[in-house]
Amino acid sequence: MADNDGSTSSQKSSRFKQTNLECKNLYDYLKSRSSQVLEKLYNHPTICLAIYRELPDLAKQYVIRLVFVEQPVPQAVVASWGSQVFSKEHNFASTVLAELTLWQEAAIPGGLLGWILSPTFKRNLKVALLGGGKAWSMSSALEADSKARDVAFLDTYSQERWECVLHYMVGSQQQEGISADAVRILLHAGLMKRDEEDGSLVITRQGFQFLLLDRQAQVWHFLLQYLDTVEERGLDLVECLTFLFQLSFSTLGKDYSTEGMSPGLLIFLQHLREFGLVYQRKRKAGRFYPTRLALNITNSHNKSTPDIEEDHPKGYIVVETNYRIYAYTDSNLQVALVALFTELMYRFPNLVVGLITRESVRQALRGGITADQIIGFLKQHAHPQMLNAEAKQPLPPTVVDQIKLWELERNRLTYSEGVLYSQFLSQADFNVLKEYTESNGVLIWCNKEKRTLVINKSAHDDVKKFWKRYSKGN
Amino acid sequence: MNNIVLPDETQTDSSSDDETSLVVVILDSNPGQKMLRDSPHVLTHCVDSIIAFANSHLMQKAQNKLAIMACHSKTSQFIYPGQGKHTDVRQVDGQYEVFTAVEKITKKNLAKVLTADSSTVTKESLLAGAIAMALCYISRLQRTKPPGATLNCRILVVTGSSCSASQYMNYMNVFFTAQKQNVVIDVCALDQHLSLLQQGCDITNGLYLKVPQLQGLLQYLLWVFLPEPPIREKLVLPPPLKVDYRAACFCHRQLIEIGYVCSVCLSIFCRFSPICTTCHTVFKMPALPAVKPKKKKKI
Repeated sequence: MADNDGSTSSQKSSRFKQTNLECKNLYDYLKSRSSQVLEKLYNHPTICLAIYRELPDLAKQYVIRLVFVEQPVPQAVVASWGSQVFSKEHNFASTVLAELTLWQEAAIPGGLLGWILSPTFKRNLKVALLGGGKAWSMSSALEADSKARDVAFLDTYSQERWECVLHYMVGSQQQEGISADAVRILLHAGLMKRDEEDGSLVITRQGFQFLLLDRQAQVWHFLLQYLDTVEERGLDLVECLTFLFQLSFSTLGKDYSTEGMSPGLLIFLQHLREFGLVYQRKRKAGRFYPTRLALNITNSHNKSTPDIEEDHPKGYIVVETNYRIYAYTDSNLQVALVALFTELMYRFPNLVVGLITRESVRQALRGGITADQIIGFLKQHAHPQMLNAEAKQPLPPTVVDQIKLWELERNRLTYSEGVLYSQFLSQADFNVLKEYTESNGVLIWCNKEKRTLVINKSAHDDVKKFWKRYSKGN
Repeated sequence: MNNIVLPDETQTDSSSDDETSLVVVILDSNPGQKMLRDSPHVLTHCVDSIIAFANSHLMQKAQNKLAIMACHSKTSQFIYPGQGKHTDVRQVDGQYEVFTAVEKITKKNLAKVLTADSSTVTKESLLAGAIAMALCYISRLQRTKPPGATLNCRILVVTGSSCSASQYMNYMNVFFTAQKQNVVIDVCALDQHLSLLQQGCDITNGLYLKVPQLQGLLQYLLWVFLPEPPIREKLVLPPPLKVDYRAACFCHRQLIEIGYVCSVCLSIFCRFSPICTTCHTVFKMPALPAVKPKKKKKI
């Protein structure tokens, strides 16, 4: 009888798999924390507020309905709040609440199971909403600042600081102005790595993807990486997170006091100052101003539409249907970003003209940037003129489609691990095995003339057993 | 913004996430309301509930907006956001700074409105006027918003006064304007059933609720009126009552079921009048045509 020759032709799929930048949101971040840490976090009204805003819409409604209810509410009652059509979303909301231990199961007299909000979370959410708790650590009274800074000043300041970090990453001109600490975080986050040859720092593919994110997502990603290293520095994670969220819920253009802050927190503040999240005139000034970078930091993902605020930074990129890009900017960084996926044609003091070509996009794709990131970048920085157009999309659809097609072009090969079966003694044997694997959906490829077939590696054992049974039967 | 989306519906959900939602709360502060004449302290309870509700709305999303108006017998005023900048508010008791600001500004400005008008004469509240002001405010925001942003607006009227047919025309005008501008009008009746405002809710796809117990006002507000219109369809909310679509006549301002309608301008009258008071069209007496057929029969 034919022997199945298990000569494996497995391919290392990991070699082809691209490690992409993974952006966690607050929910993912919290989910990966232990329940003790969560319980500690829920002791702070600001964190409760931030978590509440992250919840799915339905879960928000459930929490607000339960926040003033003292007894457990039967699960059947909660289930009846959502309409039947959207039961999937209802289940999802319930899971999220349970996963974050925001609500717990509780027995109700009468043998029913009920939901009750976590007492700590409930108490502190109420404090955030209605007051009646302890004051935040940074809100001691201050006399008026003699050199008060206005919003415009803070905006330019924070932008400068943050672009300093980004500039450092792309390695354009300036190399100073960034501390060893920040460099360590960049290395830790895998956004940069040491070159194997000369030990100098070079940007990684994740780093390129990071550059194309919008500002808030960048800050959030960066801070998450920072928080990972916080405990090594001897700072308290809960304390830092609390402060971060207090900062994110503060008012732009207002000064806050550093009085009563622990030494650890003061160090943390200095780090934030370095990245431009807060402004301090002097290290010992006793007051600081939060900047726009620090506000609503969790509010970052997939955010494509601009805020209602009028003083929001404006977009500068115009894309035409003939694949030309006009970027009204004088910043080297922004030019460098545009140049990642375009072929630059002309450069003027306040304008850069480029052309999106197949080659330029493919080069970006080779560098690990995805088409969605390019499109997202163009959309997010679209010039107000583009948004005013009649069409709903700020970008010409042809350009968007073409960029996506160029990406698809590269993905014509799919890799899967398999096992090769060959040298069947008879056509009948071959047919039996082919039919069996086909019906199980594990057949990858077969050739009748050469009597070879490749099946999925995971099904190898199963097919082997089947073959043994079959050979015995004959 | 809500960042946790259903795993398999990331694409469809992202569009509704980035919208700004504005609520204009109109609080009837007229001391002439029956409810307030009986027990004035009810107003404090209502104001507290409304502030808590307003803050809950701001809590939903970072970009949510809020405005609160006080509606009186003579004027309607915006009490939040008030005039000028209020940067001196510092949080003291763990409450989110923005919420503290809402509470303080609202209470301060409401006190101003209440002390300014000391007349004790019972008059009806100018609800239609207040809604019109809210619509103007909304349309201004819509005009000045940056391109590409979407602003969902709704108006919540909280009142204990009775419905007055004398403002019938004004009501209908604001209701249809709101419908045209895609503004949802919600009404929370504290004391009496309001048939005219209920029509408005029906026209603009809003919700109407007559609060059964005033003590639970906050809970009713949070349950029924906090969810935004897109989320409402996912929740089970009180079913709409049968709407009383009676119109008020233009001559005596009374709600009527059957009346006379001017064929030119569609004005409604409870009694026949030979000249339309709105467009001055002259009608023939109805008695005349009735006489002629009689004569024909005789022949």
